[in-house]
Amino acid sequence: MKVTRRDLLLWGTGAAAGLVLTPVPWKLLGDVSIWSQNWPWIPQPTHAPVEVKRSSCTLCPKGCPMRVRLAAGWPVGVAGVPSHPLSRGALCPLGFGAHQLNWHPQRLRTVLHGEKSSSWNEARIAFAKALREGPIAIVDGYPGRAASLVFDSFAQKQGGSYHVVPSPEIRALAPYQALGGVPAVDLGYDLENARTVLSFGAPLLDGWGIPGRFNHLWAERAAGAADPQLRLIQVEDSLSRTAARAWQWAPIRAGAEAALATAMARVLLEEGRVSARVPIPALTLAEAEQQTGLSTDAIRGLARTIVARPPVVAIATDDNPSIAALNVALGAVGTRGGIVRRGKKAKSYPGIDTIGSVRAVLIDSTVPWDFTPSANAEVFRFAAWNGASSRAGGADWLLPAPGFLEELTDVPTPPTSAVETYAVAPSLVKATPEVQSAAQLLCGTDTDLATVEKTIHARCEDLFQARAGTLYGDATMPVAQVVSVEKLEEQLRSGAAWIGEDVSSERLRCELKNWPTAVDSPSSRQETTWGGPALPPLASKLYQESNLREASEWRKA
Amino acid sequence: MSARYGMVIDLDRCTGCGACMVACAAENNVPPLPQATPRTGLTPLLVRKVSNGMEGGAQREVFIPIMCMHCEHETPCVSVCPQQAVEVDKATGIVMQMPQRCLGCRYCMTACPYHARYFNWWDPQWPAGMEKSLNPGVAVRMRGVVEKCNLCHARLHAAEEKAAASGRREIDPADYIPACVEACPTAAIRFGNLADGKDPASHEAHSPDAFRLLARLGTEPKIYYKSKEAWVKALAEPGSGPAWEDQHG
Amino acid sequence: MSRNSLALGLGVATALLAGWVAFPQVLYVRKHQPVEFHHKTHSEKSGITQCGDCHTLRADGTFIGMPRLETCSGCHSQRIGTSREEATLVDEYIKPGQEVPWLVYARQPANVWFSHAVHVRRAGLGCAECHSSDGQSDAVRVYEQNRITGYSRDIWGHSISRLRRAPHEGMKMGDCESCHRQHHFEAGCLGCHQ
Repeated sequence: MKVTRRDLLLWGTGAAAGLVLTPVPWKLLGDVSIWSQNWPWIPQPTHAPVEVKRSSCTLCPKGCPMRVRLAAGWPVGVAGVPSHPLSRGALCPLGFGAHQLNWHPQRLRTVLHGEKSSSWNEARIAFAKALREGPIAIVDGYPGRAASLVFDSFAQKQGGSYHVVPSPEIRALAPYQALGGVPAVDLGYDLENARTVLSFGAPLLDGWGIPGRFNHLWAERAAGAADPQLRLIQVEDSLSRTAARAWQWAPIRAGAEAALATAMARVLLEEGRVSARVPIPALTLAEAEQQTGLSTDAIRGLARTIVARPPVVAIATDDNPSIAALNVALGAVGTRGGIVRRGKKAKSYPGIDTIGSVRAVLIDSTVPWDFTPSANAEVFRFAAWNGASSRAGGADWLLPAPGFLEELTDVPTPPTSAVETYAVAPSLVKATPEVQSAAQLLCGTDTDLATVEKTIHARCEDLFQARAGTLYGDATMPVAQVVSVEKLEEQLRSGAAWIGEDVSSERLRCELKNWPTAVDSPSSRQETTWGGPALPPLASKLYQESNLREASEWRKA
Repeated sequence: MSARYGMVIDLDRCTGCGACMVACAAENNVPPLPQATPRTGLTPLLVRKVSNGMEGGAQREVFIPIMCMHCEHETPCVSVCPQQAVEVDKATGIVMQMPQRCLGCRYCMTACPYHARYFNWWDPQWPAGMEKSLNPGVAVRMRGVVEKCNLCHARLHAAEEKAAASGRREIDPADYIPACVEACPTAAIRFGNLADGKDPASHEAHSPDAFRLLARLGTEPKIYYKSKEAWVKALAEPGSGPAWEDQHG
Repeated sequence: MSRNSLALGLGVATALLAGWVAFPQVLYVRKHQPVEFHHKTHSEKSGITQCGDCHTLRADGTFIGMPRLETCSGCHSQRIGTSREEATLVDEYIKPGQEVPWLVYARQPANVWFSHAVHVRRAGLGCAECHSSDGQSDAVRVYEQNRITGYSRDIWGHSISRLRRAPHEGMKMGDCESCHRQHHFEAGCLGCHQ
């Protein structure tokens, strides 16, 4: 019997009708909708238990303590440590996105020689050759670490030199070395006891010092109060975040900070409102008015205001000697509420302007990206992230360094702290084999050097022997009560923090013989302490996906 | 006993740093969108800047974090959603947005008086390997759906699990802290159960300095703001204070 | 019977056969667990009597799910038996330190939040209520994966029509909802989703 078209059509109709009586259409509908909600190209988080470990943020020299959430060995979130007396649980906006930085598209994972890919072997050969041929300069962006000791020792042994690119906060304390003989790294601000803070463009509420510290003080004592216990006066050419929230904003022309500081000092000295024995500056109020754009009345008013509620301290963004002189006139150096000595005898490090003629320069990954060394030396630059522009940050060799939390390091006292502190930042993320730090390279070259590991151990021992300060770990206890050096080291290595005792009463005498000439300085704005060429990806929420910030606030490129 | 979770944001304390915005995006697996603009960005928490309109040294700015207000009464987005993809949770008061149910009509975005809802214009993409950094408690959405602040619901889940494991019925409030609250360096964002008279957040919400944005609409938002400054309080109702800065430059 | 009715009838019959018999076969692809694990062997021979001995609830309330390698290597760091399956476990997974890629029958999509702590500790549900006699298995069940959704057949339930289902079979959203309704325990959307 031939099968006709009608047969087929009827068969098809029957099949269609029958299909409705089967699970097929209903199940397919449901299954296809599930399929359409589970596209394979949408990444989902790893299904793994989360453990929380402590370390410190390594993005800048403030080293804010951090709690890191880890799943399957990878960081999936960060938060601060609220029990820490300085950071108060705060992190800066970049810190909250730091855990994603290691996968930034600009992450450096191969050795680059000029523009070409090379290898560690080639780089080591070139470095060894450079060492044989002349002195090398080593540049460090984060002094005081165990790694810094490696740099310094290596440079000394090799007959080279060690240099530091100081953070803006440290640079602002540099003038006091000439005035009082104490290196900038030994000084801090006793903000907890200040009642008036005169900031010359320093972003006190936006990344200055340990972000949590002043933010907390200001929030508790000033925010919203008509007559605040802590008076924040911001002198700045534009309405920054700090100026917008300050008790008073004194808008002056950019670069006229020195003139204003000098004029204010003159007013205070002439009117006998301060007791310091310093010479009266020559700058007249009329000259200051011309330079700053503030009227003489306003300058007088400002001067009287800052001494109305002592102690007062002035904070600069760079090594402006006039502001330092103002602090001396205010009696804010070596006194409660002002600039204090932290107590430890640290070395003062040569800056980068003293790099002479050298065979090669080794730049650590902590040095800001926009630092370019002298032209004639061969440059070996360590970096975890590459800059978008070519010429590789001015380096001949670009060497992949450990990224965020990928290496064991330690956290010396952060800039601006009034007490000594110490912490260890354990490595919480496994580094890939092609990264190596500058300290590792140098220890590999000279095996007699004390490694970072050894120095950290030695520092733990020193802390234990000194029996001073408090350990903020699983529990808070004075070091004197810690039973053994092993216990202390174990605590520190799992993210505890040591906070030293308040020694701000230590003697710090400054003498001002002559008032510095008020010179117009370039931009008063503090450079950010973030020096890397790549921002944490989620920072885009702040400058790309909203109008809250400008990208240029962080990036110099 | 049902809770009514809400916030009191002290605008006198907010410095506009944006740490809360970054922490929120990290907690909720929001992708970084380098191709976005302020109009197409995805910021479940957005800090806005408003000037007091004065000149010279008298000029000041206030920073206002805006997220879903978790409207309690006649919730606009709930009433317009054709998919019933959003509802007010009876147990917590949280306005729950279900991106998996959303069909992307964006009616809710129009309805929301606070512009607190965001659309996924693109499929979420992270640079190679960065997916390993995704927060395990939060599912990643796809393009074509709307999302908004859910008061860090994953953290509430974790608090509930912890309570259940210890045999408790109620969560420990210290275990449920949204990411923005945890991140704020000045503790400007206070969070708690507004229905619990003993909760400090509830107490602050009743302070004379507390106010809500667009309260006259009657949606009973559960995000309160607080300020001692008159010009800031005046921002609560449009037309009565200085103009809000145009965020969509 | 007329020729037309025959054609129609054959069509219906074909559809019914395809839909009820062939479709369930074709919809699922059969996969095998990487190691043939028998619960019964372990409960009889090693004193592991409670489900929670290996499928532990951590102190913070999170559930371990499938035990990690360290649970198995507690006893099986070396071969302690004679089976070929144990040899596979020890040689291919424990010695190289490779987690066993178990196929999880109960796996739900990423946007589902199910808390064992809440259901087991707070609601007092026994393991068998949802996992029936899996804990006494003396053979490993084949893993049938839905070709379209990628999830296990267990989520829908073995029966394609969902008729004559065992009480524990199936874990679609409706199944969760019906149990919640039965016990008068409401949860909003985000109560179970994330």
